[in-house]
Formats: sequence, structure tokens, C-alpha cells
Amino acid sequence: MAMNDDITQMLFKVIDELNQLRPREEHLKKDLATPLAGDFGRLDSAGLINLIVMTEQRTAQELGRPILLTDDRTMSRINEVFRTLGSLADYIHLLLNEKHDG
Amino acid sequence: MEIKTFTVADLQLALLSEDFWLAKTLPITKQRALSFCQNPRAEKDDPVLLVAYQDNQIIGYLGILPDKIFFNNADHKLGWLTGWWVDPSSATKGVGVILLYKALNTYRERIGVSGGSKEARKVLHASQKFIALNPLKGIDIRFRFNASRAVFRNFPWMKIFGVLFKIAEVLLNEIVNFRRFFWERRNRIRQRLNFEYFSSIDEETGRFIERHHHLDLTRKGKAELNWIMTCPWIVSAPQKDAAARRYFFSSISARFFYLGVKVYEQNNEMVGFLMLNVRNDRMSVVYAHFENRHAPSIAAAAVYHALAMDVSTLRLYDEQLVKSVAGLHCPCWSTQSISRGFFLSKAFADILPADCRLHGGDGDFAFY
Repeated sequence: MAMNDDITQMLFKVIDELNQLRPREEHLKKDLATPLAGDFGRLDSAGLINLIVMTEQRTAQELGRPILLTDDRTMSRINEVFRTLGSLADYIHLLLNEKHDG
Repeated sequence: MEIKTFTVADLQLALLSEDFWLAKTLPITKQRALSFCQNPRAEKDDPVLLVAYQDNQIIGYLGILPDKIFFNNADHKLGWLTGWWVDPSSATKGVGVILLYKALNTYRERIGVSGGSKEARKVLHASQKFIALNPLKGIDIRFRFNASRAVFRNFPWMKIFGVLFKIAEVLLNEIVNFRRFFWERRNRIRQRLNFEYFSSIDEETGRFIERHHHLDLTRKGKAELNWIMTCPWIVSAPQKDAAARRYFFSSISARFFYLGVKVYEQNNEMVGFLMLNVRNDRMSVVYAHFENRHAPSIAAAAVYHALAMDVSTLRLYDEQLVKSVAGLHCPCWSTQSISRGFFLSKAFADILPADCRLHGGDGDFAFY
């Protein structure tokens, strides 16, 4: 089962990758408190989709198990799941645990 | 945030409801909703509109146009995305993302997109869910000299010379009229060709289309073309009405109509079919069917009608018509290459043949 630290490090790599697509002044901080989507969010639609796709790919590559962040269940809680980098890490942890239990 | 999915049946109920049309922001116009409900390729339970609400206010919406595409001797259902809008104040709330994935999930990842804004294309690209088809290449043929609009847009202070610009344009356009007179005499359009006009497809035209559309990706037949012609999304009106002011996309134009043209040669043989869309001073050939050997005659017929209807621009996307126009020596000021982009979800990537044919009206283009 993936540890929280593994998930955090994986997400920091996603942020590095995402920042390469963004102007310097719009770079996201590698911090679990960094807001992503929602009222204080930093990502527009294209940015959020990039984050989703990169996260799905890196989770499969680095944590060895695929997750789906585009299903109706996740989409219905999008502002909760993607509120901050930390909330996304918690959600990934939950998904991986569910898979592990299943 | 709550996402409501409207099926065709829900939209029929919404049309009867008063409350639905009282919203500060409309997710669809009545005209467009009526058209969605009449779509011959839609089932009653097909989702056709996704609306995002927050605190009972609409903060985004996405229309879906159910259609079929044809290849490998089979038809495949898909939905074309149309009218995708997100309230700019909610740009970071993931509304556009939810709408896109909701559409993809609802249609089992069988989605098409025709055109789209720069932002929409960025989102589609980021999702890695779509492949771009070869763009449809066409031309705009400009018959009217209309430089003042572009000049005033870039240099508003030049408006003080507005009268001089208008006089110059009138004089220059008289040159086109003069050239048109000789062009029509040289090409003997009325001697060589006869035309029959219609506002809905008759049996003869339906059979003619069926004989010529086997390579078309969307293979629009009599029922589908009749639907487009009789259920437009845009209404001809002198000014925006109350609904148009609350809906982000086009719903009103000063001049908007479709015209079907059957083209006959002098021996009374039907050699072509044109479905024309006239919007203000632009005419587009949205669907055209003919045999390649008749392409020069059909292109001449399109130019003839553009001149007869006094439009500034004729827009063509059919490859054979575009090629034929060069040999016609049209009385125009300029021509400009244009293109239309089409995207299909990757679910189709491995099965789509390379030789499928697109028309200028495919996707939701026929409605604009």
C-alpha cells in the first residue's frame, strides 16, 4: 500500500511537470496547502485537466496502481478533491486503499 | 455545485415550463431546444444538455448534439459538443472539466467536437481523450470590397473619414457588378443550368443524396437535412431579444436562412445538390453532392447564387468545388484559405478509416 509520503512526492513531481507548461509567475508551490480548484483555486479548466491526466499517469507509473480521477464520483466532488494539493493526496490515498481492500 | 443532465424528454418538459426560461443566464434558447427535440438522430433519453448550478445560479453549460458517424459498414452513435460556456467568475472551479468528463462518461467516450474556441481546444488537448481529424480546408471568396470595417476596428479614429470610405467602397463594388455582368455572359450559367429551389428535401433530392453520400462520415440524408433546414438555431430578427441577451451563443442574426438548390443541366438531368446557408452578408455551402465531373458546373452555380443574393463572401469547403473555383475566374476581390477543425474521442481512433469525407456543415457547423 502506498504511504502518504510516496503520494506527496509523486504529486510534487506532477507539479514540476505542470509548472513546465505554465508561465513562471503562475508556477504552483510544492506545498500541500497549495490551492488548486475552487474559490481560491489557481488552475483554469485546461490546467486542472493537465493535473488530472498527469496525476493518473504518475500514480500508475510510480505507485504501481492505476486510479481514475475523471469518473462521475470524483467529478461530483471536484472542488473538495482538488481544493488543495493535500486534499488531492488524501483522495488518492483513499482510492488506493479502496483498491487494496478490494 | 450541482450538475443537471437534461435528456431530450427533459428538454421537451422544459419547453413547457415557465420557470426554466426565467433564469438570469439561459443554458439554451427555446429555438435551439426545439431543434434539439426534433433531432432525427436523437432518442428521447439521450442527454443533450448539461447545466452546472451553484446556489441556484447557472455557472456553466454544455450542449450535446446526438449524431451518427458511418464507417466500416456500420453506424456509430456519438454526441457533438456544442455551446460550451463557463461563467468567467467560476473559471477556477473546475466547471468546464466536470461538464467535459460528464459528457464523455455519459456518451461512453464517444464524443466529437467541431471547431471550438482556443480555450476549448486547449482543454481537449490537455485531456488526451481526442484525436484531431485532418482539418477541412476551404476558401472564402470575397465579392465585396469591405475594408472599412477592418480599418475602423484597428484604427477607430479613421471613422471621421467614414463617408469617403463608403464612397470608395461603392465605386469599387460597381467594378465587381460590371465584371459580374461579363462573367455571367461568358459562363452562360442560365443557358447551361437550371435551378429548382426548396426549403425541405423532396424525394428526388433524397434519392440523389443517397446515391452520393456513401463516403460521408455523418451521411446526412433527407430526414437530417430537413431537420437542419426547418429547425434552425438562429432566427432572422432586426435586434437581439430578451433571451438572446441572456444566452452566450448566437441566436439572432439580421438575415439567416437555408436554401436548397437542385442543379439541372439543359437535358433536365439533375447533376447536383447544394444546401446553402445565408447569414447576413455571408453564404456558406454546408452540404453539396454531385459527381466529380460536374464540379465546375456546381461551383459556378454556387458563385452565381452568391452574386444573385448579393453577399460579401462565399464560403466553400468541398474539395472539388474549391479546386473548380480557380478555373471560374470569379468576379471577386480576393480569396482566402480557411479551415475547420474536427476532433473525435480516441474511442474511434483505431477504427476510423482515412478516406471519410466531411462537409462544411458537419458537427454543429450547419447551424451557424
